[in-house]
Amino acid sequence: MIQFAFKRFALAALILVVAVTVMFLMIRAVPGDPVSIMLGPRATPELKARLIAEMGLDQSLPKQLFIYFSGLLRGDLGVDVFSGRDVTTIVFEQLPHTLKLIFSAILWSALLGIGLGCYAAAHPNTWIDRAAAAISVSFIAAPAFVVALLSLLVFAVYLQWFPAIGVGEGFWDTAWHLVLPSLAIGLSWVGYIARLVRASMLEVLGENHIRTARAFGLSERRIVGIYALRIAILPVVTVIGVGMGFLLSSAVFTEIVFARPGLGKLVIDSITSRNYPIVMGAVLVSTALFVISTAVADLINAILDPRARSGT
Amino acid sequence: MRLEWKKASVGRRNFLRGATALGAASMLPMGWASRAMAQEDGVLRIRSYGDLSTMDPAHSVGVVDENIHASVYNKLIQYKPGTEWGWQMDAAAMIEQADATHINFALRDDIGFTNGHGAMTAEDVKFSFERIIADATESPNKPDMGPLSHVEVTGEREGTIVLNDPFAPLWTIALPYITGNIVSKAATEAAGGRIGTDPVAESGPYLRASWAAKEKTVLKRNPDWKGDAPVWDTIEILPIDDENTAEIAFDAGELDLTRVSLGSVERYRGGVPNGGALIENPSLYYVWLGMNLDHPKLQNIKLRQAIQHAIDVPSILQAAYFSAAAPSTGIIAPGLIGHRPSELVAPAADFAKAAELLAESGETNVSLTLDVLNKTEFTTTAQIIQATLAQIGITVEINLLESGAFWSSGENENLQLVLNRFSMAPDPSYATAWFTTEQAGIWNWERFRNEEFDMLHKAASAESDNAKRDEMYRRAQDLMEESGAYRFITHEATPVVHSSRVAPALRPDGLPLLRYFGKA
Repeated sequence: MIQFAFKRFALAALILVVAVTVMFLMIRAVPGDPVSIMLGPRATPELKARLIAEMGLDQSLPKQLFIYFSGLLRGDLGVDVFSGRDVTTIVFEQLPHTLKLIFSAILWSALLGIGLGCYAAAHPNTWIDRAAAAISVSFIAAPAFVVALLSLLVFAVYLQWFPAIGVGEGFWDTAWHLVLPSLAIGLSWVGYIARLVRASMLEVLGENHIRTARAFGLSERRIVGIYALRIAILPVVTVIGVGMGFLLSSAVFTEIVFARPGLGKLVIDSITSRNYPIVMGAVLVSTALFVISTAVADLINAILDPRARSGT
Repeated sequence: MRLEWKKASVGRRNFLRGATALGAASMLPMGWASRAMAQEDGVLRIRSYGDLSTMDPAHSVGVVDENIHASVYNKLIQYKPGTEWGWQMDAAAMIEQADATHINFALRDDIGFTNGHGAMTAEDVKFSFERIIADATESPNKPDMGPLSHVEVTGEREGTIVLNDPFAPLWTIALPYITGNIVSKAATEAAGGRIGTDPVAESGPYLRASWAAKEKTVLKRNPDWKGDAPVWDTIEILPIDDENTAEIAFDAGELDLTRVSLGSVERYRGGVPNGGALIENPSLYYVWLGMNLDHPKLQNIKLRQAIQHAIDVPSILQAAYFSAAAPSTGIIAPGLIGHRPSELVAPAADFAKAAELLAESGETNVSLTLDVLNKTEFTTTAQIIQATLAQIGITVEINLLESGAFWSSGENENLQLVLNRFSMAPDPSYATAWFTTEQAGIWNWERFRNEEFDMLHKAASAESDNAKRDEMYRRAQDLMEESGAYRFITHEATPVVHSSRVAPALRPDGLPLLRYFGKA
């Protein structure tokens, strides 16, 4: 198990290095002079030259990359030359907002999706199953931006039950501000997880150990909720791990629509302004988040299913 | 490995049960709280299109910072709210133009800085203004101060602003705008000469209580402020980039004031939610189609004139600006010195004239590219230009560019047609500055070079007679249009909605002057 974990995290580190390198090269290939954009129309040539030097843009590309990775090894993501603030500070003050959004979306969509999937699997080919299928597919088909806008219009503007913008202060206020954004990005996951759990559960319910449990007279609720779910949930764990990446992408849009601070908004603003240090810092952290979440999902899978460790 | 099955199942069920109950129980009171949120007495919530970048006026990047700076700092003079451009006293008890290059001032005796930095003195004014023009400060706002030489301190609160040359924009930009903010010399020097995102000392009617990046800036009343007491206890400034989001937040009662999109003006004309009101201000932006005079395809002036005549501005305003904006006559907006009452080429297209000019040019099979920023109004405008130019046989290929790439287009020598939009401060010199010969290939993307224009730009800045300035700037715009390199489209508009509990104080271009906001 330790060897598996080591291999998995070594692979994660390698993916991170590749992703950051590619991103580093890509952003420099994008047309647009960062210094002119950042300083605006009235920057003097001297000021432009100083900023170019401070950003290291006067160095060759390989040297810039070397300097960047050297800084990374020291835990230094650089300095935003415009505001003079540490990129680490800038990125990490935005990160919690995105994490709260993603985890709240995962949490509620997983809880509802798993419940819906189990219930449908426990009543196969009944009207309940068909209704659950219809609901699941509807959720999957609903684009996040449509859900976001409709939920805003209905729950924020018309009913005024939930806030339209911001992140709130304190636990309950924060949770309250998360309702609509996490609904927007989590809704399709409810349907997706429900379909996945149903299919997986139906397969598990047909296995020998389940028949044995039934023979022992255990209740169907206990069999589904305890014995079958443990195995049926395995693909969901993997999907949620990979889903972190998709939710990070969705967070970009959601943070703009709901005027929430966060990594996605930070990346968009920084790319627009060609603020390379912040783009790299934000991309590094979000890539790390994605890589770590998939690695953790693999580890959880390995714990739950020993076959995953051996790769069989 | 053996897992404890019971733990998982009991936890899951209990969690689901508990979460459902908790969610249901908490929803109702939260709903009530929502309605009350924006109505909280004494708290004004307004939208800003961007986030604070610095508290240092020397490095301020524009109106977003200035909204906050103008509330927590003082200037000698401030813009006056209303529909006509003007200024009123702020920190100055007296200010007068002694001669063309000397301005005497005396400060009020009741303004002090926070954090124990004492009363505002003429030394603070000298320090604030001179650090803008000092090379060491590397302020991008240095041009706003024009030919400022220095500030002479003649008493504790008295001094004289000394210019190298006469400079009319001193009264319209330098003093009442970004560079006019007075910072504490002692506090700034103690901070190493540069102010970051936290203020080192404030003196205005409000203090910056907190700033959460990309979330909000909170201003609170300055308890030591001795001037007219600000009406609102707290001002929350929320950075919301997207206008549609801001409109939804306003409709939901979470904002007291926001600029709205031109596409929504018609809807708000029909009624603003919660008893609010719509204010339609003109804007200082100017939008035009530019033609690169250095490009081989655009050397023929008859061709350029044909393009000018073939573009139908009313159609653009109807389709891209939802008839909420008026045609522009040049780069200088109505209400400012130098605004032309009419343009040389009428707003409506004259296809017969355009076809005639094209025939005279001798150009055939003309095919051009049009670079456009990827925003809805510009892409729509570009499509209309494409369609109207097609009517005289000119083929246009639209290049959509995101903002980073678009704003670097100045150095692109292959640029042919470009749809552009600049903003300006309320002085005509701020508009003409970008079209001089020395700006060619930097911000003068048309590479328009005209000695008379350059001379007019320079002379008009130094001219104190407003009638003469007016004439000079009108002539300068005539020269631009006569070159055939420009088709002026619109100054857009600044529609603003506000809630029923607010009496907004806006500049003539619709931008808020927060310290003067009242209650309805």
